[in-house]
Order: sequence, then structure tokens, then C-alpha cells
Amino acid sequence: MTIERIVAALLILTVLMASLRLVLWQRSSPSAPWRLAALLLLQPLCAGLLFLTLFPPPTPTTGDTLRIATAGTPRLAAAAPGAPLIILPEAGDISGDENAPDLATALRRHPAVGTITVLGEGLPPRDLEAARAVAVRFPPPPPRPGISHIAPPRSVAAGEAFRVGGQLTALPRATIDLLDPAGRVTDSATPDADGYFTLTGTARAAGTTAFTLRVRDGQRVVEQAAVPLLVTDSLAPRLLILAAAPGPEVKYLRRWATDAGFTVTTQMSAGGGIALGDPAIAINGATLRRFDLAIVDDRSWAAQRGVLIGAAREGLGLILRPSGPIDGATRAQWRALGFGIGSGDLAPIALPKVAAPALSSTRLGIGSTDAPVDIATPDDLLPDVSRLPLAPAAQAPTLLQDASDAPLAQWRAIGTGRIALFAGVDSYALTLTGHRALHNDWWNALLRTVIRPASGVQQSGLIGWANARLTLCGLSAPTPVERPDGRRSTLLPVQGCAAFWPDSAGWHRTGTGKSFYIYPAKALPAMRAARDRAAMLALRPPTATDRAGDSAPGPSWPFALAWLIASALLWLLERARRGRQSAM
Amino acid sequence: MSATALTRPWTAPARKRAFLNAIAIGVPLALGAAAVTWRLAGVGAAIATLTVGLALSLLIALRLAARFDQDWLIRTLDARRPDMEDSAALLFADNATLGPLQRLQQARLTARIDADTPDRLAPEWQRRSIALTAIAALIIVALALLWPRPGQGPPTLAPASEGVAAAPGIPRLVAQNLRILPPAYTGLPVRDSQSLDARVPHGSRLEWTLRFDPQASVPRLLMLGSQPLALRRDGEDWIASRTADAAFLYRVDPAAGRGPTPPLHRIDAIADAVPQVKAISPKASLTLVTRGQRSWSPTFTATDDYGVAASARLRITLAIGEGENVTFTEREIAVTGSGPARDRRFTPRLDFGTLGFGPGSDMVVQLIVRDNRSPAPQEARSPSLILRWPSAQQPEGSGLEGMVNTVLPAYFRSQRQVIIDAEALLKQKSRLSADRYLARSASIGTDQQILRGRYSQFLGGEESAQPQLPTADADAETHHDGDGHDHGPPRQPAPGFGVAEDVLADYGHPHDDSAASSLDPETRAILKNAVDEMWQSEVHLRQGHPDLALPFAYRALRFIKEVQQATRIFLSRVGPELPPIDPSRRMTGKREGAASRTLAVAPVERGDGPAAAAWRALGDGPGAIRGPIALDALDRWVRSEAARLPDPLALSGALDAVRRDPDCTPCRAKLRGLLWTAMERPSARPARRVAPNANGTRYLRAIEGAAP
Repeated sequence: MTIERIVAALLILTVLMASLRLVLWQRSSPSAPWRLAALLLLQPLCAGLLFLTLFPPPTPTTGDTLRIATAGTPRLAAAAPGAPLIILPEAGDISGDENAPDLATALRRHPAVGTITVLGEGLPPRDLEAARAVAVRFPPPPPRPGISHIAPPRSVAAGEAFRVGGQLTALPRATIDLLDPAGRVTDSATPDADGYFTLTGTARAAGTTAFTLRVRDGQRVVEQAAVPLLVTDSLAPRLLILAAAPGPEVKYLRRWATDAGFTVTTQMSAGGGIALGDPAIAINGATLRRFDLAIVDDRSWAAQRGVLIGAAREGLGLILRPSGPIDGATRAQWRALGFGIGSGDLAPIALPKVAAPALSSTRLGIGSTDAPVDIATPDDLLPDVSRLPLAPAAQAPTLLQDASDAPLAQWRAIGTGRIALFAGVDSYALTLTGHRALHNDWWNALLRTVIRPASGVQQSGLIGWANARLTLCGLSAPTPVERPDGRRSTLLPVQGCAAFWPDSAGWHRTGTGKSFYIYPAKALPAMRAARDRAAMLALRPPTATDRAGDSAPGPSWPFALAWLIASALLWLLERARRGRQSAM
Repeated sequence: MSATALTRPWTAPARKRAFLNAIAIGVPLALGAAAVTWRLAGVGAAIATLTVGLALSLLIALRLAARFDQDWLIRTLDARRPDMEDSAALLFADNATLGPLQRLQQARLTARIDADTPDRLAPEWQRRSIALTAIAALIIVALALLWPRPGQGPPTLAPASEGVAAAPGIPRLVAQNLRILPPAYTGLPVRDSQSLDARVPHGSRLEWTLRFDPQASVPRLLMLGSQPLALRRDGEDWIASRTADAAFLYRVDPAAGRGPTPPLHRIDAIADAVPQVKAISPKASLTLVTRGQRSWSPTFTATDDYGVAASARLRITLAIGEGENVTFTEREIAVTGSGPARDRRFTPRLDFGTLGFGPGSDMVVQLIVRDNRSPAPQEARSPSLILRWPSAQQPEGSGLEGMVNTVLPAYFRSQRQVIIDAEALLKQKSRLSADRYLARSASIGTDQQILRGRYSQFLGGEESAQPQLPTADADAETHHDGDGHDHGPPRQPAPGFGVAEDVLADYGHPHDDSAASSLDPETRAILKNAVDEMWQSEVHLRQGHPDLALPFAYRALRFIKEVQQATRIFLSRVGPELPPIDPSRRMTGKREGAASRTLAVAPVERGDGPAAAAWRALGDGPGAIRGPIALDALDRWVRSEAARLPDPLALSGALDAVRRDPDCTPCRAKLRGLLWTAMERPSARPARRVAPNANGTRYLRAIEGAAP
């Protein structure tokens, strides 16, 4: 209960009691009816005026606040009392006090303004810079249903499986499909409680392409948005496989890496100084510098630990794998590296459920004579693949998980290189049972995470909309940009960044070889709204030092004067003898 | 003259006439209905309809005739014959109930009645109705017989929808029909397709009938990727035909390349599916013979898209015999299926006696069905069902688990078991009755006898011979069956003692035929001693003196231990033959010939080069080509790799569309989408990590504790 209400209640109570007193008085000593009526009327009037004296009504302030109408402002905003209403172009055809092409213009016209109230969905990015000069009051509208965020992969290697993350807003029962460029559904998911989703697709040859996200509510398509994908062909990595004994795991790893076009050097020890595989090389810092990646089993690790760690500090990607149950010393060493390797025996890996053939066929390409398409069906027996017990570790983020969310691989940085631990044993069984894609995805994820860094890696990740300003950074000199239709513009960087105004949707390419995707102006409206909304909420809200906005309490003296007059009248009337029937 | 005698002749003509009237109307109607049914549903239905129709006509005719009864006669006589004086009813009245006046009148009527014939009373022929019905029936029958069947006679042309702009003077397709004549074995009717795209059964004959305006001179059907098909003039129309051996794309070229290019049409040839055979019963592939079973009737169903041949072959493989002495016989018998052609059921009855199937044999059956495709029927085989008749002697077992290396420990344990049992019996002696004690002791003696028998095998089958009585027990009482006292319940050798350990007999077999020859003479001597001791032990056990038997048993155990330490038994393995280990080289430290080796590995051949290149060129990213794209390489690739591609025909069509109109954005998008389905997914080469910048490197080194 506010103080106003308490005072109001007290005043009403007083008026009621006074009225009661008047009525009783009238019965004991009757007087003229008009006098009673006048007294009864004047008392509430008096009380009301007293209340207004104490709490004068707010009056719209002018001069230092403005109301800004943006997209989605209700038409009747002008009718509401308040500060002058400035209409920005996005607000559309509504009437206000003044039209302005942008916020900066409006603020220039009203230099005294210190606080603005933004109506509607919020200021466009164009006005955010200007809005930083003032305090912004922004009652956020309810979020728009749709895809509020989408995170396409920054860079995908040819043939790689990639994941698209995103968030849906205000669509709790929607289904999300990922359509491949041929228009086939390649993955489907329902968002979690917060609306987050992750979908998986597979790339093919290098080039630019766009998958499509389709949001369905039942059978109705709510929204569709492109997932731009920049597929790059990277240099063949140089891989060293060290094994202390020949075995199927090494054989199939070597086969997989060779088929993928890696430069593979395999060194398998057969005991007694006999080495199998590729011609023997000395394992030392100089030779290891020639490799990007090394896959090392537990027994080779024990023999070459110092050299390998040293090479990893220099950038080598090191992947440790157990060849079976490991001994206590190795376990302790790996634990000391930060991996959450637990004690205990090998446990079976929970393999993910095989997708329906219609889905899995979209994830595989066509087969070849050497490697025909091989799809495991849901009815097939799952291979027996096991893993060392691995627990989530603070120092080593989890890289792979099995279907029961048990960590399967972890990695950590060491120097400029990285070390990963793959806890799986006998992953080769996957390639023999129709799960070749899973084997490929696992090992590719491992290698991709730890591979020796290289300069000049192409990445996209910039998301822009047509007819919206875009800032491109990392430019040192004037650079041409090629638009989707082949037209070229030149970017003039200032302090490494340049502004670019895309006028058409599609893939753009800068002269430095960087590609980025521009969405059509109407695509992903919920994502743009969410972005603008987040930017708005990050602006400075009004504080106590700012004026309290558009409704300051008004002056109270007119009410005080009126109250005085009414009180005097009341007093006079009560004292006067007119209308009072003389009792004598 | 009685009433009935009068009624019958007087109503008979009318009845006959009414009956004939109804029949004359009903029969043509029934015939018409039968003709229509024959056309719609075949001969069987037509005969049924005709029968029902005729029966119905007969029924109606009889009912109509039955209306002409006595009441009718009275009414008609009263109405037609003035001389009846409205009292015809008197003719049929009972004389007894009549008054004199009525009798008089009756007599007068009786006298007058024959003045006219009954024929005059019959109703008229319904000439109009009969004629109309007959004409209608004739028309119906004629229509039913002559109404053109689809696929017969000249086709009705449908207006063409090529979507090509008309150019003056250049012929244009205006009407079209595609007649599809599926192969006879499919049983599918001939049909006319108004569209030029169709999905037809493989081997169908396609007949195009096309009409052009203005009249074309040399129209052709251009087949994408093969020879064009010339059209033949037939009056106003042009005709061509071809067999659909494979799916193909084509376009109608009315003007030999002049004018706009018409769109492509697609004919898909649906291949005849291979029949599917399933075993319905038994569900499991392995079934065991039940007691008293004399025959076996497995049930199979075979389904096919057009039909399964009624006769199938059942392949019966009999595996008779045990162990290594198994003979296989294979034969095929013909079986006849029941049920509709598309879903036949085969239930052969296999009589054990006829087939020679007996205990210890396996019968494997497999049904081989064919569909009705011509010329080459397709064959499908069912899963094999196995019926096993387990032999009484042989325990169930399979595989080579626990091969031979536990042979001697098993025997050793057995002698140990005899000792343990005997000692346990001695401890319980006070608690047992004498008979029971004797029986238990004799039973252990039997065990000892079996064990002795097994060891005797190694000495050349001396088990059956009477062992030489050791001198120390020469006066010992000998026992025979039937010598007056009980030897305890005779033990069957098969179940129970020692069988589980009898791995040698189950899985191995001695090195040569004689078990004894696998042992050297020294071992044989020890083993002989052991067997002798066992004999003594057995004798005492059977006499109920386990205490006396124990020393011999212990001695036997000691000898067996010696045998075990002294020798190995060499057994030939059943299963894979591994190369022998050269013991002379083992653990010698010599490594001649063992050296490091390079194991070569060659990457698999991959290739979707043209597809990937065209895919990049059609896009809008790097590598895009916005003008005309050279698609010849892709075209060649699609043709050569058609077997690998999911839909090479669609790809060819899209390719053709882009080639014709390089600026057509939807065509390019469609081709690009199809190319996505026609690309390999290369094994990923991991994308490189972005190298950290100088600050990042310094940070990474610093957290490792290294110098920045």
C-alpha cells in the first residue's frame, strides 16, 4: 500500500465520519435542506483538493525526454499523454509529433534531451550509436516466435559432418528439419525446454552451399531459413601413427587416413626391433615437426613420452589412444595431463541409434566401386566397441560423447599444440558393421580439434542481411567485394574495418578470399528482432540522476489555493446562521 | 361338373398367356444385364447374372400367372359374358348350400357356359412392351459387345500441353496419346495415357499417336542420349512405337530442330520385382523332431508383383550319420502352391519314411519359387529350414570349444572322485544299513569299472578282457552277473559319470586308429599298472569293502599322475590346420628372415570430379560461373556412372534444361540440387585450426609455464 492510498483512505474515512456527524446533527436540530446538501458536497470536495495538494497529478514534461516510435509501435501511441513522439521510418504510417529519418537527427533537433523512451521493437542498428548518448527506457516487447538464433558452422571441410545450433523462441512444440541442398530432410529435432536445438548434416565437395532450416508446427511450416555453409578443401594433413604392436585398429585407421588423402606414416613395432608399416623414421623433435598429427597408443606413449610432449608444445596435435586396458603408470600419467580417466575396466560404448535409412542415405554420398555405400540399418547388430572409463574433467573439455553421454574423448591445450585422449578401444569394428560414417566422424572430430594450427585458414561466420550495413574487419588495404551477381565494389578500410552495404542476398567474396553470406532482408525476422532487442537492453537505462522520465509531479499550489477557498466556504457555511432553524 | 373341373380349363389359357408375356419381357432384360456384366466383370459373372435374371423372370411370370384364379374367372365371366347374368359365382358354389332358385340359375349357367371358348378370356399379348424390351435388350447387348475397349481401336487424342509458344509456319504438337501395352504375363490391361510421361512395367510396348498443326513433314522423337525415333504417318496422325527396356527421356521434335525446343518427357520402366519367399511355419530355422512325428509340413508363402508360378521346387538336403561319417544327399521335388497368383502358399508334406530320414539326421529344406516373368522367370529362394532328429547316443554339442587339452585332468579327477566317494562312504558306514552300504559300495565299484574301461582303451581295448588277477588277490572271489548277489544297479554308460569329461571321444580322436599306439611303451607300462590297481579297487568296492579298495585306488591315482607327467597324448585337430611351429627356432634368438617390412597401402579410387566441378560452377560462391557452363564432362560422367547415381535420368534431364537455357535460374538450382545427391562424401580432411596470434601464442606458452 503506497502512501497515497493510505492518505486517500484516511481522507475518505474522515469525510464519511463528518457526513455522518452532519446527518445526526440535522436530526437533532433540523436546518434547511440546501444547507445540509451544500455541507455534504463541500466536505468531499475539500478532501479531494487536500489530496491533490499533497499528491499533485503528474504533468507531461517536455524538453528533456522524447518518445521514439520504432517498428511495431501501436498506432494509438500518439494519443497517450507523454513526451513528444518522434516517428522513425521503421514505425511506418503512424501519426506523431515529428518525423525523423533517424535517431541522431531527432536528438540533434532536441539537444536538451537526456532520456528517450523507445516504443515498439527497438532501434535498428543504425541508431544504436546515437542512442548511446542518452539514457534509453525500453519496455521490451514479447519475443517474436521463430528462429531467434542460428549458428552455422564457421568452416566445414569437404565431406565433414557439421552441426548447426540455434534457438527457437515462443515455439515450444515445433519440429526443426535440416534440409540438404537437394531438398531432402537430413536431420530432424525438437528443441529443448529453452528452445535450443542442434542438427547434423554432412558436407560434400568444397564450395559454398546452403542447407535449409525448416521450422514446423505440426504440418504447418512456420519459418524457413538458409544455413550458409562454406565447404573448404584443406591441405592434406601429415599424420603419424605410432603403435607398439600391429593390430586391426591401426590397420583401419591407416586405411581410413590413406583413403581420406592424408600423408600417413605408420610405425608399428613388432618387438625385437622389428618395425612394420612405412619406412622407419626416428622419432625426435625434428621429425615430429614435420607432422601435423600423431595418433599414439599407450605403449608407444610410454616409450616416447618426453619427445611427444615436447613436440605437442610446439604445435603437434597428439591423440592418445589405449590399445586395451592400460597399466597403472600410463593411467597416472594421463590423469596428470588433466584427463578424467578413471579406474576400472573397459565398458561398452553406447552407440547412437541408427537413423532411418531415408535419413542416413542423405548423409552419405554415392558409393564408388572401391567403397560402395554401406548403411547399417536399425535391425543390424551393434558392434562390440568398448572404452576406458572417462569422467568429465575440469582441465580437459569433452570432445566426443557416446549415446549415453559418457565422455569418449577429451582434449587440452599444451603449449601451442593440443593433446586429445580417445578412450575408445577397437573402434575399427564400426567400419566393419556399416558404421563407417560414425568412425569417420569420431576420428575426424578428434583430428580437427588437435591438428597443428595453420595460418590463412578460411572461415565464414559473418551473418548479414541485405540492405543492412555490415562491418568487415581484418582488412589492411582497399579490397574488392564480389557480389552474388558478379558486381564488384571496393571496401575502404578505416582502422582495419570497412563498412559494406549489401544490396542482394547470397554469397559474397572479398578480394582476400573471405566468403560471407548475406540473408535476404526478410529472412530470419525473429533473429533480427532478438539481436536488436539484446542490443537495446544493453543500452544505458535511465538512472536516478536522469530526470524521472516523462511524468514529473505537477505543481501543487493551485490545489492548495482551491482547498483553502473550499475550506473557508465550508467554515463560513457551518458558522453562518442562514438556513439554520432557530432553536429558540 | 365340379368347381375345379370348371376352373382349370377356363383359367389355363389366361395363365399361359400371362406367363408367356412375363417371360417374353424378362428374358431379354436378363440377357442385356448378362451382356453388360460380361463386359465389366467377365464370363463367370455374366453366367451368374443370366441365371439369376432368368430365375427372377420365371418367378415373376409364375406369380403373375397365379393371379388368374377362380375369383378372377368369376369376375371376368360376369364382366365379359352377358349371358352369365352376373351370377357366374353360382357355377362354383356348393350345390348343397343353394336354394332352389339358385340351383335353377346354376343349371342355366352350366348350360350356357360352353357357348364361348376359354381362350377368349386370356389377356392380350403385350406386344408393345415385348417389342420395346427386345429392342432395348438388343441395343444393350450390342453396346456391351461393341463398346470400344481402352487400348483397342484408334486412340482418343488429348490436347498437348508442351508449353511451347506457337510460331507461324512451324509445326507444333497439338494432340497426343501414349498407349501402353504391358507384357502379357503381367496381366495388366492396355491403357491410354494422355500425358507423354509415364511409369510403365518393364518390357511394355509404347505407342505414341501424335498430331501436329500445321502438319509436320519429318517429326521425330528425340531420345536423350540415343538414336531418335522416326514417326510414321497415319492419316492425320503420326505414330511411333518402342519397347520400354529402360527408363529414358525424350522430346517430341515436330519440326526437325526449327522453332523452340519442347520440354523433355520421361518414361520410367518399373522392373519386375523378384518374388519374396517367407517361411511361415516353423518360425525358427532349427526345429527338433517331436516324439512320434512321422512327417513334416513346413509352410512358405511367396509374393510377387505380378504372380508366382504355381509350381515351385523344394530342395531337400539330408545329412544322415554322425560325427565324421555324415553323408549328404540332395534332391529337389516339385511342390504346388495354393492361393491367388500374387500370394501363393506352399505346404509340402515331407514323409520321413520316403525320404529315409531317421534319428541322428538333419533335414534342410529350401523353397525355390519363380515368378511368371517371360521370357526369363526370376527365381527366389526361401531361408533354409532345418529339421533335426537328435540321435539318442550323441549329446548335443557344437563347435570346438574346450578342444583336447583337458583330457588327462578330467581322467585324473575321476579317479580322485572314486577315492573321495569311497572315503565318504566309510565315514557314513555306521549310519547306513548293511544292504545300503553294500549297494553304495557296489555303485562306486561301477564307477571304478567305467574309469578302468576308459584307461584300458589306451592299452588297446583290454577292457573287455578279464584282467589278470594280481597274485595278491588270486584267491579273491570273482563275480559274474547272475552269481546270486546284487552288484548294485547297472550303470548306463551314457548319462552321468565321466561323460562330461569325455572330451576325447566328443571332440578329438586319437592320432591313429589304435588308442594305444599314441603312447610310448614306458607310459603304457605305467598305465597298465594303474589299470591293474583299478581292477583291484573295483573288486573290493563291489564286494562292499571300500576300506580294502582304498589303497589300490590310491595307487592307481599315483600311477595316473605318473602317466600325466610322463607323456602327452597327441591328438589330431578337427578344424583349421595351422602351420606347425618350428620348435628349433623358438627362443633361440636367431632372427634370420624376420625383418622390418614396409606394408604398402593404396588409397581407394574416388571420383565425382565433374559433378563437384559443375556443382561449384552452378553456385554463387567462389568458382561460380554465371554464363554458359561447359557441361559435356558432366554429361559423359553421368552416362558412365549411371549405375552409381540415384537418379541419372533426372540428372540428364536437368542437365539438358540448363544446357538449353543457361540463364534459367530455376533450372540451374534444380540441377545443382540433383548434383548434391550425385556427389560422393569424401572422407573428411580435418580443417586446419586458426593459428593463434602473437598474444595468443604468448598466453598459451605462459600458462604452460614456459618463457614467453
